[in-house]
Amino acid sequence: MEHREALPTRAPLKQGEFDPGRWRNTKAGMWSWLWQRFSAIAIVVLLALHLSLTYRPLIQFLLLLMVTFHAALGLRVILLDFSLVNVKYQKALIAVLMAAGIAALFLIWNQIY
Amino acid sequence: MSAKNRTVRVFRYHPETGGDGAFHEYSLALDDESKTTVLDLLLRIQREHDPSLAFRYACRVSMCGSCAMVVNGQEALACKTVVAALPSGPISIRPLNHFPVIKDLVVDMDPFFDKYFKSAPYFDGPTDQTEPAQIRPDSRERKLIGLSTECIACGCCVSSCTMVAQHPTYLGPASLNRAFSLLLDSRDQLRTERMAAVLESCYACRTEFNCTQVCPKELSPTRAIKHIQRMALGTSVTANPRGNEAIAETKPDVGQATVAADMPTDLHGTDLCRRAMLKRALFAVGGVSALATGSVLGMSVVGPSLDPVEKKRVRLGVTEDFAPGEVRTMMVKYSRMDAFHEAEIEMPVMVTRSDENELVAFNSRCTHLGCEVHWDTMRKLFLCACHGGAFNVDGSVKAGPPPRPLARYPVDVVDGHVYVEVS
Repeated sequence: MEHREALPTRAPLKQGEFDPGRWRNTKAGMWSWLWQRFSAIAIVVLLALHLSLTYRPLIQFLLLLMVTFHAALGLRVILLDFSLVNVKYQKALIAVLMAAGIAALFLIWNQIY
Repeated sequence: MSAKNRTVRVFRYHPETGGDGAFHEYSLALDDESKTTVLDLLLRIQREHDPSLAFRYACRVSMCGSCAMVVNGQEALACKTVVAALPSGPISIRPLNHFPVIKDLVVDMDPFFDKYFKSAPYFDGPTDQTEPAQIRPDSRERKLIGLSTECIACGCCVSSCTMVAQHPTYLGPASLNRAFSLLLDSRDQLRTERMAAVLESCYACRTEFNCTQVCPKELSPTRAIKHIQRMALGTSVTANPRGNEAIAETKPDVGQATVAADMPTDLHGTDLCRRAMLKRALFAVGGVSALATGSVLGMSVVGPSLDPVEKKRVRLGVTEDFAPGEVRTMMVKYSRMDAFHEAEIEMPVMVTRSDENELVAFNSRCTHLGCEVHWDTMRKLFLCACHGGAFNVDGSVKAGPPPRPLARYPVDVVDGHVYVEVS
């Protein structure tokens, strides 16, 4: 024990440090988490744009798209948190909820425009 | 089968030379990739290339959890990873994340076991029974615990978890998985203490499933953490009557002196802190939303009246239409944007010629209280029916309460066409 403590250790490797396979090995669950964080920031920015530049279809569409992503991925976490869906379907949930969200998005968009 | 060359890149770090460490490349001729594991590669590098290469292994049959490392960017046991299952191209082998590197692929697992023991990973059974306490294999409880007891504490899950680096106090997937299997055990006597120890940690999970994806024993620490979260919902926030001493007393002698020294003694410290934070966050979010909504509504109500009113130039007719001494009342129609709304405006303008033969346009509103005046051709006066106000043909006050002459609009004549500028 004493001898080992005397040796200098290298600082812990971080996620992706010295790691050629980092992005290839980023898992679906982690992508969904990252994407939800990104969409949260995008919603804040687009909401500000939506309020200052009213009735711009592009901004409206992007805002609706980001809200769809954020809601679909949020629903996935809620379903898993409360064990309403077995955790083994976590990857399938991403696809199903995203598809349902985008279908709902186009229905809503066609109703508006 | 002919031998095939594979490039293996191994992370090397020597404590005496220090530095960041670097990948070293080795080329190995493999006879049969489907019968070669990553551990075999490391053993061959040690024998054929560099005897100083350091790595841990013991059982070679994925039971001991010693040879966990990051192979091609994914945590795995070297003894269980077959080379044929890896994509072609160089194979990269590096030590686990989040642990200090001692030498080459050997990491210091002390942080792992420090956190492991914080969740009291041992069974503390009932002492008041003479018969062995049992959990039937077909009971719901045993099925729910499932394979989570099979953890070999290799550290793959902790290395793959991105939250371990973000929250220094987070116990990590392995520790929480162990706590889960004991929390669900109806015979266990340390439920309250264990719950207090893991309560803060169980909320640090971000549902990324990295730990589940890399676990060599195919367990799901995420499932365990989610279950603890749901158990925490039903846990009342009451002081733990026994506290740290209880865990220290019941702890079997496993040679870990640091157990439970800094475990929370009750649920108050951790949970109230979280509640206070949530309360503040709720108020802050509510305040910001109210401010944002209020300012948008306020601007839409007050805004238009603050905007400078747009001037409109409207054609009235040609100069010949307006004879001297005659007053004509013309209806002026135009549209104006009023915030989001396009307003259609229609209002009377009274046009006449002055003594100098100049065209003059009057606003038809009485300057007293805003009633509409009309031209009385007999009396040659603008008369207001409301309070008896009267104006001369030049707009000046003749009689009654009006305080000032009728307002005028600018008139201009271009090529015989008469325009009035209204607002």
